[in-house]
Amino acid sequence: MVEAFAVASGKGGTGKTTSTLALGMALAEDYDVTVIDADTGMANLLFHAGLDDADVTLHDLLVDERDAAVSDAVYERFGLSVVPCGTSLAAFEAADPGRLRDVVAELAADTDVLLLDSPAALGSKSAVLPVVLADRIVVVLQPTVPSLSDGLKVQEYAHSYGTDTAGVVFNRVRPDENVDRIAEQAGRYFGGQTLASVPESDAVRAARREGKPLLAHAPDDPAADAFREAAARLDVRDGDGREVAERFKSAVVPERI
Amino acid sequence: MRIPRGELRRSRVVDDAAAVLRTVLDEELTGYVVFEPQDALLLGETTRGVVTFEDGIPVLAYDTEREVGGRDGLEGFAVTGPTRAAVHAVDADALADAHEVEAFRVPPGEPARVLAGDERLAAKTTDAAPAARREEGRDQSAVESFLADADAIEEIRSEAREEARARASEWGLDDVLADDADDADDADDADDADAAAIDVGPDSR
Repeated sequence: MVEAFAVASGKGGTGKTTSTLALGMALAEDYDVTVIDADTGMANLLFHAGLDDADVTLHDLLVDERDAAVSDAVYERFGLSVVPCGTSLAAFEAADPGRLRDVVAELAADTDVLLLDSPAALGSKSAVLPVVLADRIVVVLQPTVPSLSDGLKVQEYAHSYGTDTAGVVFNRVRPDENVDRIAEQAGRYFGGQTLASVPESDAVRAARREGKPLLAHAPDDPAADAFREAAARLDVRDGDGREVAERFKSAVVPERI
Repeated sequence: MRIPRGELRRSRVVDDAAAVLRTVLDEELTGYVVFEPQDALLLGETTRGVVTFEDGIPVLAYDTEREVGGRDGLEGFAVTGPTRAAVHAVDADALADAHEVEAFRVPPGEPARVLAGDERLAAKTTDAAPAARREEGRDQSAVESFLADADAIEEIRSEAREEARARASEWGLDDVLADDADDADDADDADDADAAAIDVGPDSR
């Protein structure tokens, strides 16, 4: 059983990495979950997962000359299999985004749920690839005009590649914001369902400083509860891991940009 | 709008407004930049706009030709292609009056987003802004009016669809485009029967 979700927003600052790890930890209660930092240009999942000093990262798997095995870049942390990405610009430039397909295919063969933390941009092939490869996207939004507008854009990109929307998470919601009304309106344009409204929380920043996912740092925080609620509403679809792996392998992605 | 004439630091044609915004952010400019897209000149039109800055963070935007300020003003001179950018330094006190004009103010990240389509720079600028300014642009009624304008939303969506398809060809991703992309999981026909209720919880902050 496997389904790959790209956690996407189109805009920075919505808390996508926090959301990816929180959803991952919540889903790990029931599934075997692998989280991949597919934001190869501006990786930061490693800082959130205490993997700052990881020797082998996704970058090593995306560079031709390096002879790293996929399993070398998988770290078991917080009940998840985590594939961090490095932060070196040189490695990013040497990376071949097309190889992400093979990495995802190999990881898909062996897990229930794949979560791809996607770049907050749509301007390059490497930024769009996670959305191309995923089965569905989870859109992380803030209740603001720019965030909704960018979320709509990322959704259209995803749909163009046949990737549906699993649902929407409203994140960093302030107490004075009535997200019910906004969610109801937004539901007319976004696919899937509203998964949760996650309140803005100081615990998120504290977790990041500590290098732990929110659900490990402050499991009782209201924001953590909201992410668990989101994960419970996400209807992970059954699939055959091998079939999915095969599909990734056969996805036509040219070798170089 | 009256902005005191500042000291011209430099004036040059750049390929991309993002480069100017980035430099101004790095050098923490207090002053203004006059943007003059060059393509418009070729067409015999004048397009010109001003963005003011406080410590490198955008404060106001004003389209001097159409005399429109704020986000709408920005859109007036958001033209792709080379633009002449004239960077002026002004004393912060001298700008204080102009900066009071609420209608012309823009959220810190908006010029990077609208003029350059550069989300990362927008996020970086917002992060660098004082705490009070980071929250700008979060006006619930604005969000509700935005979502109520179905035509405007459809325009954003159809532009994004076209852009996605054009870029797919550019990146050699044509073959993975969905044949029926226009029909993919259209929320409009999803009825939202199972849309979940939202409960932020009484103890949320």
